[in-house]
Amino acid sequence: MSHGAIRLIEANCTSCMICARECPSWCITIDSHTEPIPDLPPGARERTTNVLDRFAIDWSLCMFCGICVEECPFDALEWASDPVSGVTTAAGLTHEIEELR
Amino acid sequence: MAGMQFWDWYGDGSTYVVDVGLACCTLEFEAASYGRTSAGIVRVEDLPAGSRVVVVISGTVTDKLTGPVVTIVSRIRAAVPSAAVVAFGACASAGGPYWDSYSVTKGIDQLVAVDAYVPGCPPPPEALATIVDELSERARV
Repeated sequence: MSHGAIRLIEANCTSCMICARECPSWCITIDSHTEPIPDLPPGARERTTNVLDRFAIDWSLCMFCGICVEECPFDALEWASDPVSGVTTAAGLTHEIEELR
Repeated sequence: MAGMQFWDWYGDGSTYVVDVGLACCTLEFEAASYGRTSAGIVRVEDLPAGSRVVVVISGTVTDKLTGPVVTIVSRIRAAVPSAAVVAFGACASAGGPYWDSYSVTKGIDQLVAVDAYVPGCPPPPEALATIVDELSERARV
């Protein structure tokens, strides 16, 4: 059976980095920052949440093992049916959030 | 040099595809070429003049193998300057899972000009058929 691409469900991603660290070929890049959670009750300690800035998969390194899909605790990655199509530049092999949706 | 096997990809003499099979991706090339016609030509110099040629580098290129790979591509490009080179699979594109290995070339574009990259480990045979269609402008017909 041949594999498709891997799709990012951005809303589920918490920038926890588990996929990037578990990836055997280190093909996932994640950038994020934290923002304070608004509307806390008066006197509460400040709490923060992660905000995803960049999620990129370098398809020229990916070996489509699916470990990232398996490991994601939040089901933010899933198999897509279509394979990654061929491109004419090496830079085109890295897909950002917009292309991973 | 041993002969190369040129595939008459569409069976009409318009496009000849040759596989430089170095590792497992070559199995997908074989799947993609299954049922197609071998041109029966083993020297690039014997191809009909004006032929379109696609060279598919499928598999891991180790540093030890860079010499032969460059020699093959140079010889084909000397005979057919318009020949397109395809980096088929992650290894040929950038080293793939072996990008951190001491002995693996991090993509054949470090050695020769590449016209198309097909990601996958391995890519499905249809991905090769699609990129050959695009390089031979079949996709736009």
